Amino acid sequence: MIALAGFRLAAYVRSHRVHQVSLALLAVLAIVHATRAPAGQEASVLADSAVLVVPFLAAAARSLLDTEPDRQRELSAVLAGGRVREVTAGLLAAFAACLVFAALAMAWGTLFGMTGTPSGPVLAAGLVLHVLSALTGVALGALTSRAVLPSPAVSILALVSGFVGMLLISASPLYWLTVPLIVWAREAGADGLVTRLPELAGVSLLWIALGLVSYVLIRRARP
Amino acid sequence: MRLANVSFRYRRRDRSVMREVDAHLSPGDVVELAGPNGAGKSTLLRLLAGLLRPTGGAITGRPAVVGLAPDRFPTGQPFTVSRYLDHMARVCGGDWRPWAERLSMGHLLNVRLRELSKGSAHKVGLAQALMTEPGLLLLDEPFAGLDTGTRAELQPIVAELSARGTIVVVSDHQGGLRGLPSLRHWTLVEGRLRETAPGGAGAAGTAAIKTGTAGAGTVAVEVTVPAADLGTFLERMRGEGYPARPVSVEESR
Repeated sequence: MIALAGFRLAAYVRSHRVHQVSLALLAVLAIVHATRAPAGQEASVLADSAVLVVPFLAAAARSLLDTEPDRQRELSAVLAGGRVREVTAGLLAAFAACLVFAALAMAWGTLFGMTGTPSGPVLAAGLVLHVLSALTGVALGALTSRAVLPSPAVSILALVSGFVGMLLISASPLYWLTVPLIVWAREAGADGLVTRLPELAGVSLLWIALGLVSYVLIRRARP
Repeated sequence: MRLANVSFRYRRRDRSVMREVDAHLSPGDVVELAGPNGAGKSTLLRLLAGLLRPTGGAITGRPAVVGLAPDRFPTGQPFTVSRYLDHMARVCGGDWRPWAERLSMGHLLNVRLRELSKGSAHKVGLAQALMTEPGLLLLDEPFAGLDTGTRAELQPIVAELSARGTIVVVSDHQGGLRGLPSLRHWTLVEGRLRETAPGGAGAAGTAAIKTGTAGAGTVAVEVTVPAADLGTFLERMRGEGYPARPVSVEESR
């Protein structure tokens, strides 16, 4: 399974699809962090960064999963010993790619986006949020990948709608009905991120798990 | 490996591609699968591979290691032939180099997959399927586009694998395996699978049974039994580890 995940990552990098997201992400990070935030806003910078990267991570996950031709997915499943291993390897590869992009965003924000130095708990909270962003990106990207949505137009529309939907719902009192992206940013601005992090991470993980399980179930029916 | 009352359709409201398919495959069996275009041969191979799940019935006893060579190898991948096969070898723990040599692929190893001709791409598909040392080998139109030398080599390869106990199912319009004495013939027409003996139906009341697989250290034996005793005889032979099958009746019981 690890070997198959490595194969998919290698295909993603060698096909140059990796540049599509990396160029767009670098441009956005450069603009967003063009001026450093004043001291005391370190949590906000990190939380905003974690929210901002979600659509890029979803696009990266979708692009990675779509790199492999459909027929190769079948061959990979047969060679790896089953469909579940093939699906898991794809998700692992997508998570690895998303983690790299999320780490890049967090490092950029920490080094160039703030005047002060974040405290240990704030830095740890920022790290957790970026890992949650990577997982959210994997789930959204997987659910909009070609194996689930064969039409590229529908797929990209679903990806954008999914992200916008998450923003809108998480800005409402029903924020617990999705990954609460806006609440991450809001609590960071109100210095409540560290204390509310367990609750927010729990809600986020629940929806991420639901998304990933849905993807696996759909893939069982749609090879 | 047994297919029991297998039916399949792609979507709920679609017509069934396959209906009530019953078949038994013993170690060493080589099956030539024929049928008109669109009959569902590739679908049957994907069902046998476990890539699709039957919508009715069940497929049981599938060998743990399966090799699948597709009719069209997916060349749209950013690798050279050797790098691709290296990746696949890491995935399945196989060794592709002996097979590349037998399939005359030496000159292709540093060629990008995108630049391969149809026949060359086909060889890559065959190599990745063969390197797994499969218990079940599924070949979809394996002779299409192959050069004469590789076509000639493929039949001995299939015979060797069969002698080692591999079940080989080949979707083939070109009759490339007709020289194999133990070849079984399946025909898929309008969703129904029929097994036909090469020489036609067996004599009334009796069934000819061929036991064993021709190959290194084995011998094929022909036995004639009353048709009523066929099931019992086959069960007994298979129970003792011999890949027995009927050669002059339509259905293996």
